[in-house]
Amino acid sequence: MQNVIFPNRILPYFLVAPQIVLTLIFFFWPASQALYQSMMREDPFGLQSGFVGLANFTAILSDETYLSSLKTTVIFSIATAFLAMAVALLLATAADLVVRGKGFYRTMLIIPYAVAPALAGMLWLFMFNPAMGTLAYLLRRNGVPWDPLLNGDQAMVLVVIAAAWKQISYNFLFFVAGLQAIPKSLLEAAAIDGARGSRRFWTIVFPLLAPTTFFLLVVNTVYAFFDTFGIIHAVTGGGPAKATETLVYKVYNDGFVNLDLGSSAAQSVVLMVIVIALTAFQFRFVERRVHYA
Amino acid sequence: MAQINLNDVRKTYGGAIEAIKGVDLSIADGEMIVLVGPSGCGKSTLLRMVAGLESITSGEVSIGGRRVNELEPAERDIAMVFQNYALYPHMTVRQNLAYGLKNRGTPKDEIDRRITEAAKALEIEQFLDRKPRQLSGGQRQRVAMGRAIVRKPAVFLFDEPLSNLDAKLRVQMRVEIRRLQRSLATTSIYVTHDQMEAMTLADRLVVLNGGRIEQVGTPIELYERPATTFVATFIGSPSMNLIERNDLGSINAAGANITTDVKTIGIRPEDLVLGDHPSRTFAIRLTVAAVELVGAESYVHATTAAGQPVVFRVPGRTQIAIGEMVGVSADKRNLHFFNREGQRVGN
Repeated sequence: MQNVIFPNRILPYFLVAPQIVLTLIFFFWPASQALYQSMMREDPFGLQSGFVGLANFTAILSDETYLSSLKTTVIFSIATAFLAMAVALLLATAADLVVRGKGFYRTMLIIPYAVAPALAGMLWLFMFNPAMGTLAYLLRRNGVPWDPLLNGDQAMVLVVIAAAWKQISYNFLFFVAGLQAIPKSLLEAAAIDGARGSRRFWTIVFPLLAPTTFFLLVVNTVYAFFDTFGIIHAVTGGGPAKATETLVYKVYNDGFVNLDLGSSAAQSVVLMVIVIALTAFQFRFVERRVHYA
Repeated sequence: MAQINLNDVRKTYGGAIEAIKGVDLSIADGEMIVLVGPSGCGKSTLLRMVAGLESITSGEVSIGGRRVNELEPAERDIAMVFQNYALYPHMTVRQNLAYGLKNRGTPKDEIDRRITEAAKALEIEQFLDRKPRQLSGGQRQRVAMGRAIVRKPAVFLFDEPLSNLDAKLRVQMRVEIRRLQRSLATTSIYVTHDQMEAMTLADRLVVLNGGRIEQVGTPIELYERPATTFVATFIGSPSMNLIERNDLGSINAAGANITTDVKTIGIRPEDLVLGDHPSRTFAIRLTVAAVELVGAESYVHATTAAGQPVVFRVPGRTQIAIGEMVGVSADKRNLHFFNREGQRVGN
C-alpha cells in the first residue's frame, strides 16, 4: 500500500467528510437512538418514558415468542440463502453454456431484481393464494392440500420461495461474473485430466468460485435477516400464528403495531449484534477455506 | 509411445475464416516436433486440434494409428503443458499431480509412486505440499511438466510453455525439457514463436505461415536450405538478406549461374565477408548505416546503391565508420535463389 501525502492538511478531511456524515446520520445516530430507547419504558399513554436499565433485554430473552421467532429466523435465513444461491448457481452454469442469445438470457434473469420487494410478495401471494391463486389451484387439483393461510409450514415455504426469488438475480449476476473469471485453460487442463461434467464442476469450478460464494453467503444472510421485511409483510404478515414472524418482522410488529417501543428497540439492538457477530464469524472461519486467486 | 498422423487437417471458423488450410504431417514415435511461425499462423490452433480442445473441421488426426477426431481430450492419451501453466490454484502441488491419475481410477499407491518419481526427476520434491501461488514461475513450470509426465501419456503437447519465464530461466528449462523428452522418448509437439527455442529443441521443425506448412525439416536443413523466402527470413537471427536481382547492378555474380527465373537472392549475414575477394562469386558495394556491437561480433546495417537494406557480420572489434562505402563478398555455395513466388530454385 502506498502512502499518499496531501500538501494541504484540511483537504483530506473534506474529502472523507461526506462518507462520515452519511454514516453518522444513517447509522450511528439511529443506532444510538435504538440503544437509548432499548433502556427506556413508555407509559401506556405514550406521555413519558422512564429508564429501566436492561429490563427490556431480560424480558425479551426470557420471552418464549421471541425465542421461537429467533428459531423461525434461523430456518428462514438458511433456507432463503441456500435456495437463492443454489438456484442462481444452477442458472449461472447453464447461462455459461448458452452460445446464442447470451445477453438476452442474462437480461431476462436479472429483471426480478428490479421488482420491489412488496410487489414481489404480492405476486407470489396472488399466485399461491388458496382462494384465487392459479398455482394454488393447480396444487390442490393435484392432491396437495395447499393452504398457507392456515398451515404454518406452507406459509414458510411460500415466503422462502418469494424471498429467494428476489435474490436469485443478484446472485446470478455474481456467479456469472465468477464463472467468467475462471481461466479457460484450467477447464481445458481439467478436460485433459479426464474430469467431465459434475466431477469437473465440484473439483475445479466450485472451489474456484469460493470467493464469490463466500461473498454471496454474507450478503444473502444479511438480506434474509434484514431486507425481507417487505416480502413477509406482503405475503403472510408474519402469520399464520406467527409461523413466519422473523426477528425483523417482530421488531416492526412490537414497535409499530403493538407500540411497545422499548422492547422493539431492545430487539433491534439484539438483531444488530447478531448480524455483526454472524458476519464476523463468517469472515473469521469461512473465509479461511476460501482461495483467492 | 505413438506416432501422430495429420491428414489434410482443416479448421474453419464460422464457416468463413479458414485458420488451418490443409495440413499433412506425420510424426514418428518419440520424435520432438516443433511448430513455429509468427502469431496468428495457426500453430496453437493446430496443437489444440490434436489435443481435442478445438474441433476438427475436416481431415483426420490419428494418434498411435487410432483416429481421434471424435474422442474427448481425456481419451486421446495426451498431456498438455500450457503457457500460463494452468495449475489448479486451490490444490497443492501433490494434488495437482494426482488429479489426472485419480480421475482415471489409478490405485492410490501407484499414484504416490508416480508422483515421487516425477517430483524427483523435476526436483520439486520439497514443494509437494505447497500451493501453486507459493511457487516461482520456474517452479510452477516444473509442476506443470510434472503433471504431464506422471500420466505417462503417449504424446506430450507443449503450448509455448516457456514464454512466461525470464530469459535465463527459459534457456535452463529448454535444456531440461529436451533432456526429459529424450529420456522418456515420448512423442512431442511443441509450439513456440521463438526461433531459438525451435532450433534447439526440435528433431524436426515445422514452419507454419497463414495456416499452411511452409517447410518441414531438421533445424539444419531449414537453416541451410530454406524452401521459401518466408522460411529464409524466419529462421536465423538476424534474418537472411533478400536482395532483388534487379538491384544488383554492380555485382560480380558471373560464376553463380543465375537462371532467368531467379528474382531474389538470399545471403545470410554470417556468410557475407568484409572486403572484395576476387575468388568469390558474389560481391557488392554497400553504404554503412549503423553498427550493432553484440559482444564477440558486430552486425553492420548497410544499404545497397538502390537503397535496399543488407546486414552482415564482422568480428566485434572491426572499425567501421557510419557512412563509409564498403565492399562485401560471399561464396557461391552460400547463395540462396528464389523465384517470383518466393520458392527456392536451383541447388
